[in-house]
Amino acid sequence: MLYSSYEADQALMNTGPKKVILTLFLLFLAFIPLQMVEGIPDLIPGFDFLGNNDWLKLLSTACIFAIGALGLNVLTGLAGQVSLGHAFFMGLGAYTAAWLGAAPGPLAGIGLPMWIWLPAAGVVAAIVGVAVGPTAVRVRGLYLAFVTLGLVFVGEYIFRNWSTLTGGSQSGRTFPDFELRLWKEETPLVDFANDGTWFGVALSGEAKTYYLLVFLLVVFVLLAKNLQRTRAGRAFQSIRDRDIAAEIMGVNEFKYKLTAFGISSFYAGVAGALLASFVGRTIPERWDLFLSVQFIAIVLIGGAGVVTGTLLGSVFVITLPRIVQDFTGWLTEYVTEGNGVFVWLADLLVVTGEGDFGLINVQQGIGSGLSVSILNQVLYGLLIIGFLIFEPLGLYGIWLRIRNYWKGWPFTY
Amino acid sequence: MNPDILILAQETAHPSRFAEMVVEGLSLGTIYALLAVGFVIIFKATQVINFAHGALATMGAFLVASAATIIDVPGRWMPSAPDWLVWALSVLIAVIAMAGIGMLLERVFLRPMVGEELFAVAIVTLGLDIFLRNYTNDWIGPQPRPLGDPFGAEVVDLGWVSIAQTEIAQIVVALVAVGAIALFFQSRMGIAMRATAFDQEAARAQGISVGRVFSISWAIGAVLAAIAGIFISLFPRRAAGVDNTTAFFAFKAFPAIIIGGLDSVVGAIVGGLLVGFSEAAAGTYLTGVSFLGTGFAGIVPYLLMLLVLIVRPYGIFGTEEIRRV
Amino acid sequence: MKMKPRWLAIFLAIGLVLAACSPSGGDTTTTVAETGTTSGSSTEATDPPTETTQGDMGIATDVGVDLEAGTITLGLLSDLTGPFGALVTPIVTGQEVYWDNVNANGGINGLEVKLEVRDTQYVVDNHVQLYEELKDQVAAFGHSTGSPHTVAINEGLQSDGILAIPLTWYSGWSDTNLNSNLLHHGAPYCIEAMNSIGWLKEQMGDGISTIAIVSLPGDFGLDSAEGAKKAAEALGLDVVVDLAGQILPTDEATLTAAADAIVAANPDLVWLTSTPTMYSSIFGQALAGGYQGTWSGGAPGYSPAFVAPDSPIKDAVASSMYFGIYFEPWDGNSAGTQAAKQMLADSGREFTPFDYYLEGFVEAQIMHQVLLAAYAAADMTQGGIVAAAKTLSEVTFDGLAPTESYVGSSNEQVQRAQWMVKPDPEGLVSGANGGTKIVEANYTSDIAANYEFNEACYQLG
Repeated sequence: MLYSSYEADQALMNTGPKKVILTLFLLFLAFIPLQMVEGIPDLIPGFDFLGNNDWLKLLSTACIFAIGALGLNVLTGLAGQVSLGHAFFMGLGAYTAAWLGAAPGPLAGIGLPMWIWLPAAGVVAAIVGVAVGPTAVRVRGLYLAFVTLGLVFVGEYIFRNWSTLTGGSQSGRTFPDFELRLWKEETPLVDFANDGTWFGVALSGEAKTYYLLVFLLVVFVLLAKNLQRTRAGRAFQSIRDRDIAAEIMGVNEFKYKLTAFGISSFYAGVAGALLASFVGRTIPERWDLFLSVQFIAIVLIGGAGVVTGTLLGSVFVITLPRIVQDFTGWLTEYVTEGNGVFVWLADLLVVTGEGDFGLINVQQGIGSGLSVSILNQVLYGLLIIGFLIFEPLGLYGIWLRIRNYWKGWPFTY
Repeated sequence: MNPDILILAQETAHPSRFAEMVVEGLSLGTIYALLAVGFVIIFKATQVINFAHGALATMGAFLVASAATIIDVPGRWMPSAPDWLVWALSVLIAVIAMAGIGMLLERVFLRPMVGEELFAVAIVTLGLDIFLRNYTNDWIGPQPRPLGDPFGAEVVDLGWVSIAQTEIAQIVVALVAVGAIALFFQSRMGIAMRATAFDQEAARAQGISVGRVFSISWAIGAVLAAIAGIFISLFPRRAAGVDNTTAFFAFKAFPAIIIGGLDSVVGAIVGGLLVGFSEAAAGTYLTGVSFLGTGFAGIVPYLLMLLVLIVRPYGIFGTEEIRRV
Repeated sequence: MKMKPRWLAIFLAIGLVLAACSPSGGDTTTTVAETGTTSGSSTEATDPPTETTQGDMGIATDVGVDLEAGTITLGLLSDLTGPFGALVTPIVTGQEVYWDNVNANGGINGLEVKLEVRDTQYVVDNHVQLYEELKDQVAAFGHSTGSPHTVAINEGLQSDGILAIPLTWYSGWSDTNLNSNLLHHGAPYCIEAMNSIGWLKEQMGDGISTIAIVSLPGDFGLDSAEGAKKAAEALGLDVVVDLAGQILPTDEATLTAAADAIVAANPDLVWLTSTPTMYSSIFGQALAGGYQGTWSGGAPGYSPAFVAPDSPIKDAVASSMYFGIYFEPWDGNSAGTQAAKQMLADSGREFTPFDYYLEGFVEAQIMHQVLLAAYAAADMTQGGIVAAAKTLSEVTFDGLAPTESYVGSSNEQVQRAQWMVKPDPEGLVSGANGGTKIVEANYTSDIAANYEFNEACYQLG
């Protein structure tokens, strides 16, 4: 592709097809929850949208994780700093949101509206991120991973013990709903949590929440995309590629590492607030190392440093358990019906009854294979390993290959 | 009555509590040190941060449980042999198997990553941890698996303090293991390993089989992890046997390594003991102090680690990385 | 090269989302699928799930009850691989075996009961997500594991009008302000503590005058610790160690510290409420420190693995531990228990005797009686099942568990009876029982009997 100016080269949507496809994709996202609305599905015959089923919740969860992962992507993908502390900053965001947003009750809460608590969640996390930054800047590389690991454990300890705010270990607390109020008035301007009508279209609370989260995700994607093109974004990448070289070129390493920490923590804080409010109730143990690892997995599986990759990674990691579960369910059905070409293969995979051989146990206490949830975990671990070894660019790298293949099709180069 | 005052009051009334604390510190500390030394050997030789160390420890303990109680090997072929001998042989079999598993993991999952960024390799081991831990836990099943050791719940009463036989065994084994490693570093292979740790390419140019060094270091690391895992799963700590919580111990080995310095074996031993003692001391003197809340002793190692890193970013015994453009 | 359009990437993203959409139409898995394919006019696929339909028999149904296919689908939110996997896995098996048996004998008036089991791994987020997945497929929830988890879905249960049986013995489930869509069963943790400590005091008299209270944080540990404190107060016991909520499953240092405090204070009785792993660790370390007193605690903290043949602590455990249990254990011989054991033996499944299989039967029997009542009222909608459940004043189990009531005030509803057991290594080896021997059946202590129950002993925030 030839660009006639630097601006054109750096533009967010640098080609015509990209604009068209992106618009279509956003429209598609907008249609996803519309199955329940009378008449709407007929607009596109033969096309079954999600409607108000639990997949909508999974996609909403993926949106939240994508926002958090975009933050880690700035820190790890752009600035090259490994952090295992993402969960801690998410927890900070969540409890800031709870404090500011939750209605006054036995636990801390002052009932401010969402337009305050959501940005505040990000800001508080960012401030703490910048505050712990100097330690993190002083140590390098793998030592940084351990500092942030320590942060998660210390954070969990604080959350567990601050029970007037967090509800205490294994008890937890409720979080504010998604509602837009001007101030503390009775009826919210926009109520995302309950069923209602928007522009004459009846929508479920789940659908409205989904729209809110998609909207927020789009905003954060634009911010993250733009960041790559700014002075700071370029500084991050130069630090990632060779920190000393960057410093010699005049990039203030200390300042930009702190900035990267701050931005990353802001994203994490917002994502934490959204996740906690979305689930509705969370215990302090939620913000643990495994959550951090999940974000690292998203960034790596999607493709480090690439915004599109992060989005793909989120959808992939969040929906994987459900896909595995549905797939094993389908396999079992396929085997019990017993009239397909590959029944023998499927039968090797699933345990369908007492004494049957198989790798996956569908029913409890029958068979020697892996249960579905263990299988999920095992696959999850293997995928992280597999992507790092075989496709360091992640899902994004796979696309690139497919795209380049079809670009040259039918020629191989 | 206020529990704080109560516990502090007992404190003064029981002079042996200090001795208790020392025993606990030693017992925890040697476990952490065993884990940390294996970890450091792997890191020194291969530049890999092994997040799967906890999973290896669980696996080692489970292999002992399998050999000694589930499939009864070699006990089924030697019915008249004394218990301790049979059990020692079971442990030997498990440990040799773990050495093989360590080599296999290195060859399959980490050899392809040679030359990649350090953190990318570290994340591979994070994936490996998820994979191995869940797989092993599935094998163990929901109930803990006893290791069938001959020590049982025997306790040696020294008058001012009592100590479990297993803890004495553990301290002896840890000392032997450390001695063996010190000797190993004087051997031909050990020297090759030190050379590789110093400079992989130069070592290769000198005719050292770097691949073999990698294999051996993973074997040693896995064996040390397994030994730690076995002692975690014995009487006082996991009286009912190995279960899915064994792997959590390895999280305390991380601060130990960082405190000592990632690339120092001596540092790992010192760090391990320091973490063990600080945890035991905090547990003895600070549990129930209300303003510290629940689980303060558990984060003392991490606080210690952060403190050390602020003062010495490469740990107490670690070597500072020389940064070049 | 770097700035090439990414539209293909976006296409693939669409593809991925589409792939995610595709199973949504026939969103039936495992067991339901077999029958789902036979009924050509499956109502749930085309109609929105909230619409109520009238069947031939004049029975109202909406979600999870398919009169044409003749099925009732129940959801189980289970912790199969989390910290309580060892208990919940056999409970699920118990439910499966019970319903297989009901189905083989004509089902619920001809309707076959199917189970949709989901593993929550004891994580609140998973629990909520899986609830969302199942709520449009099931008539009711056969159990919901974990208290914060159940609280997290309780609001949803109320607004969606769905019934669930909590698989936790948190005392809040007997509180009428909380339980409009929940069916408690068994003596709650707090009453259990009053019973167990009361029984031990009755047996040992002056042998018990000091007590150490150690527990996990959260509903399980603190509800139990609260009951223990009330019992200690009523019996005049001196609380010499109070580590309620001070031990953590992933933190060995807290366990060592607790054992240490027990050894130093040397109480007559230790009331320890934790997971089995934590229990064995504190027990082992206290034993190594020379402590010789009596042990008890919340029933889920005991595991028969403590007295397994290779366990180093089996003798010490057998001679010093006593526990309560919420239903008749495997050792019992009532008609209900015998029948359950027989069903399990006839099921062809591999099993070793274990008390918690029977909990699965208890839960299933509650749901069985609820479904019969809903059928009798000709309303098997989700809401109809809730309404039917809340009319039951006498749910009986033929001796397998104490009679439950779901009408009246909190104080009238709460269960106060339990069984007392002691570990039994010989019984475990011979298969006579699941590693516990009954020492007192259907027991209620004076403290528990006189306790005015108006709200949960420990309040979840």
